[in-house]
Order: sequence, then C-alpha cells, then structure tokens
Amino acid sequence: MTLNKERIGALFFLVLSIAYGYFGSEIKLHPGDEYEAMTARTVPYFLALLGIGLSFFLLVTGKSHDEAETSEQREWKPVALLIGLTLVYGLSLDWLGFLLSTILFLLGGFYILGERRWMVNLSVSIIFVSIFWYSLTQLLEIYLAPGRLFAGLFG
Amino acid sequence: MLEGILTGFNTAIMPTNLWMVFLGCFVGTFIGMLPGLGPISAIALMIPITYGLEPASGIILMAGVYYGAIFGASTSSILINAPGCSATVVTAFDGYPLASQGFAGKALAIAAYSSFTGGTIAAIFLLVAAPALAKVSLSFQSADYFALMVLGLSAVAAFSGRGQVVKAMLMTVFGLMLSTVGTDRATGVERFTFGSIDLLDGISFLLLAMATFALAEALMAVLKGEHRETDDTDMSKLGSMKLSKEEVKEIAPTVGRSSVLGFLIGVLPGAGGTIAAFLAYGVDRNLAKAKDKLKFGSGSLRGLAAPESANNAASSGSFVPLLTLGIPGSGTTAIMLGALISYGIQPGPRLFVDNPEVFWSVIISMYIGNIVLLILNLPLIPYISRLLIIPRPILIPMILLFSITGVYLVSFNSMDIIIMAGVCLLAIVLRLLTFPMAPLLLGFILGGMMEDNLRRALLINDDSLSFLWERPITLTIMIITVLVLIAPLFQATLKRIFKIEKDGTGLPID
Repeated sequence: MTLNKERIGALFFLVLSIAYGYFGSEIKLHPGDEYEAMTARTVPYFLALLGIGLSFFLLVTGKSHDEAETSEQREWKPVALLIGLTLVYGLSLDWLGFLLSTILFLLGGFYILGERRWMVNLSVSIIFVSIFWYSLTQLLEIYLAPGRLFAGLFG
Repeated sequence: MLEGILTGFNTAIMPTNLWMVFLGCFVGTFIGMLPGLGPISAIALMIPITYGLEPASGIILMAGVYYGAIFGASTSSILINAPGCSATVVTAFDGYPLASQGFAGKALAIAAYSSFTGGTIAAIFLLVAAPALAKVSLSFQSADYFALMVLGLSAVAAFSGRGQVVKAMLMTVFGLMLSTVGTDRATGVERFTFGSIDLLDGISFLLLAMATFALAEALMAVLKGEHRETDDTDMSKLGSMKLSKEEVKEIAPTVGRSSVLGFLIGVLPGAGGTIAAFLAYGVDRNLAKAKDKLKFGSGSLRGLAAPESANNAASSGSFVPLLTLGIPGSGTTAIMLGALISYGIQPGPRLFVDNPEVFWSVIISMYIGNIVLLILNLPLIPYISRLLIIPRPILIPMILLFSITGVYLVSFNSMDIIIMAGVCLLAIVLRLLTFPMAPLLLGFILGGMMEDNLRRALLINDDSLSFLWERPITLTIMIITVLVLIAPLFQATLKRIFKIEKDGTGLPID
C-alpha cells in the first residue's frame, strides 16, 4: 500500500478523529447526565465515530496511485515567507502599532513577491496605509491602540 | 405579497442600498476577475465592512458582490481563458474561442445579456417561490429542521463530483467538529477549549472563512507562480458589443431554457452554479442540430449563452433555501448565512415574518443588481480590467492585508492573526491534497444549529429518535437524504442520460 495524496489525507483525518474522540471523552458532564439521552458529549462522540469510519473507508478504497501530476512547479518559498510575515505582523501589531507594522507588512510582502522598485514600494505602502489608517480612525472612529513600544518610550 | 414587494422596493431603492448594490457589483467584478479568487473570498472580504451597516444593506452588498464576482469570473474566462471560479469553467469552452476570433466584445455582451435574463427570470421565480415556501416551512418543527440540515450537508457531499464524495463528507465532519469547540450552548460545559480563554466563544466564523478562502486562495496563487504573470490583454480592442437580430433569435430559446433549468438546480441544496452550467451546456448541445453541435467548443453562441444564463439563475435559486429555510445550499450562501447570524438575524421562515424588509429587499435588490451589471458593468469592463494591470506582487500583499485586517478589526485580538496563519497553512495543505473547502464552511455553520435542533426534537419526543420515521415531513426528508447519498453510485447511468462526459469538451462533467 503506497502513500498518495488521498491516503495521506485519510490518515490525517483518522488521527484527527481519534484525537477528537479522545478529548471528547474529557468533556465534563453534569451530575445526572448519565440519565439524559443527549449530553455535551453525544455529538462529539458521534462525529468522532463518523470521522473514523469515513477516513478508514477512504484509506481502504482510495485510489492507489495519484493521477498524472501536472508538471507545474510549486513555489513554497514565497508562501512560507508570507505566512512567516503574517506571524510577525500579528506579533508586531501590539508593539509597533497599526500604522508602522502595516507599512512594514506591505513592504515585506512586495519584497517577497519580487517587487524591487523601492520608490514604488515605499510610496504605495505609505500612502495606502495612511489612507486606510485615516479612514479607520478619523472617518469610522475606530480606536486603534498605539504601539506599546512608543507608549512606553514617550507616554 | 404586494405589500411586501413594496416594502422591499422602498428599502432597496434607498440611496445607501442602491450605492451598496453598485459598490458590491463593482468590487465583486474586480475580485472575480482575479484568477483564483472566487465569490466566497469576495464575500468574505466584504463581511467586515457590512458589520457597520443595517442588516438589509449588508446582505444587499453581499448579494451584489456575489453577482459581480460571477460576472467578473466570466469575463476572465472569456478574455484570458482563466475561469475565476468553478461556475464559469464552462463559459470558457465557447467564450474564449469567440474572443480569440476577435469577437471578445460580442462574447462579453452575450454573457452579460444571458446573465441578465437568467437573473431576471430567476428573480421572478424567487419572488413567487420564496414566500410560498416560507409559509409552508412555518409549520416545520425542530425534527424537520434537523433532517433538512442533514439533507443539506449530504447533498453538498453527494454533488461534489466523482472521487470527491468521501473527501467532501470528511470535510463536512471536520467542519462539524470545529463547530463543537467552545462553550456548549445547552449545558454550558466547555468543549475542546484546552483551557484557552480565546476558545470559550468558539472559533470565529469570519476567521475561518477568511483563512480558508481569501487568505488561502491568494497564497495558492503565489504557490502556483501566478504572481509572476501579468495581464497584457489589450482591452481596447474588444470589438463591437452589438448583436444582430439573427443572433438574438438563435440564443433566445437557449437562454430561456437554461434559466429555468439553472433556477431549479440552484434551489436544490448542494447543487449550485457549477452543476447548473455544466448541465445547461450539455442539454443545449444535445438539443442542437447536428451542424450546430459541431460548433460547440469552438465558439458557439449558444454554448456561451447556456452556462451563463444557468449559473446566474442558479445563484438566485440558491437564495430560496437560504431565505425560506435558513439552510444554505452552497459555500457562498453558507458564508452569507454566517454573516446574517452575526447581525442577529436568523434566516428561515421567521425572517419572512420578523424582518420582512430584509427578506423582500434582498429579492428586489437582486433584480437591481442584474440591471447594474448590465448597464454599468458591461461598459465599464475595459476600465475594470485595467485594474488588473496593477502588478501582482503589489496586489497580492494587499489582498492578504485586507483578509488579515478584516478579522483583526472586528476582534482587536492580535492572537487571531497568528491563529489565521495556522489555519491558512492547514487549508493550503488540504487544498493540495484535493480536499474541497466549501463543505468545511457549511458543516461549521450548520453544526451548532443542527445540535440545537436535535436536542429540541429529542426533548419534544421523550428522548426517542422515533421522530425520524414517525413524522411524515421528517421521514420524507430523510428518504430524500438517503436517495441523495446513494445517487453517486448511479452516476454512470446519469452521465449516459446527459451524454456530457468527456466528448469534445475535454473536461469531465464533474
């Protein structure tokens, strides 16, 4: 039995369903729940069983070979970098504040995707983010907390 | 009913709402034109904006985006042979050959007229069918709703195509599993929160939709190397957009037929615009004379008109189960349901009674949306498509930013961004393993409601599941569910009936 796309997926869901069922058994019950037809565990148990059954079925009956793979190249590097950039953005928002971290996010995104005209990148990100920030804080009156770093330094 | 139509009309023609239809169609067309980004992503990107609006305006905006996105997707199918979403794959069969023969303008015009007619016919049907069905469904009880949701989820899996049925079911189950995370609404017990405060309220629907669609679709485009491509299609040479009398005569019966077919298929849960377009194309080719049949696939006007009328009619049709039963039949209507619930509106038979202005204005604005698409979008196509000249390395980070801030600006919790990155990575891996994403969203949105209705049905029925076969309505729905689930087994027979497998089109029916 060789591993292919379908079987990897099936295995993933098999493990997931078993883990889900296991953690489902740790859901707390109220006293007297043993006499109830439906408790907080009922649906999770049923879903875990269904998931195990379906993934097992897919594992057994799935195609044994992948259909001819298209020869297109997958570009994992920029995708991984962009996801990394998203993580950094999430972490930096509280520290640097919306304005600065968003400008840096866009600059990083442009760079990762191969845009190297710095003047274009800088002007697009600064102008775009400034308008975005202005419309959020001034027009829509949404309060965006200033970055902790600056609040700590100057506040 | 007339009173309702008038209320709806009054709401729909309020300047704000007219502006929403226009904005929705315009933005939808633009996003729809970007290959890879479909209507679900387009709507997801709009949801944060709609939070500040009246519910009626919000849903009008989303409906506009929906039409716009499908229209935009047809445009990219015709002009660059890159369907923006699955519902317009068929459009490219004859639309692109027409455009390459120098009739791009004509092809776009036929697409717009067919969509308009399909949308109009479907809007009229909707006007009649939805209130009637809503009245019937007022007598539905929890047991029937539970059965209907089971039917909806099964249908989505069953219609997902050959080799995909089990995978779609697994994704539905995964969605249902995700919906159980958080505090159980009935007992107040924490489930799968692992002690995290962030998970007490459950997983945010907006976060899930953005991460699995908008963010993941944009990153999939990068993964496939599409960010290197630029569109150098010269839009100034579209050619004439006029149709001759003979041409109108040729496509008129096709448009009529396909619109009715499209609407009926759209009403069925699970079968959306994609299946409607394929079926309409197949039916029309089978009806064509031998001489005309040869033209299909190499620039037939009928071959373009059929899927375009059908997919638009189907998208209106898919609003019937959403508005009357509160049960979405497709990924797109599922995301709208999620948004409606977060406005505090529960779609379903009560919507018709409690919020008639929402119910009717949506229907009326669909019609206005169709007019906007025809008289504003069609002439604007050369200008909208000029936006595609923005280099992809600039455009894609902006789409990412809108998806991320869309979630952040609702929760103001930067932890959400980190969770999004994780969910998005998982979504990309599952997409690469060819697991469909829409059933996940559908399962997630219906999960909570299903559990509530099951619990209520059990309570009414003395803890016995016998309601499944004792209540005639419930039994009927359950029988249909079983039929739907065993239908894929008979797919080969169905294919023979419609004769639309691989011959000539180069693409299988599913």
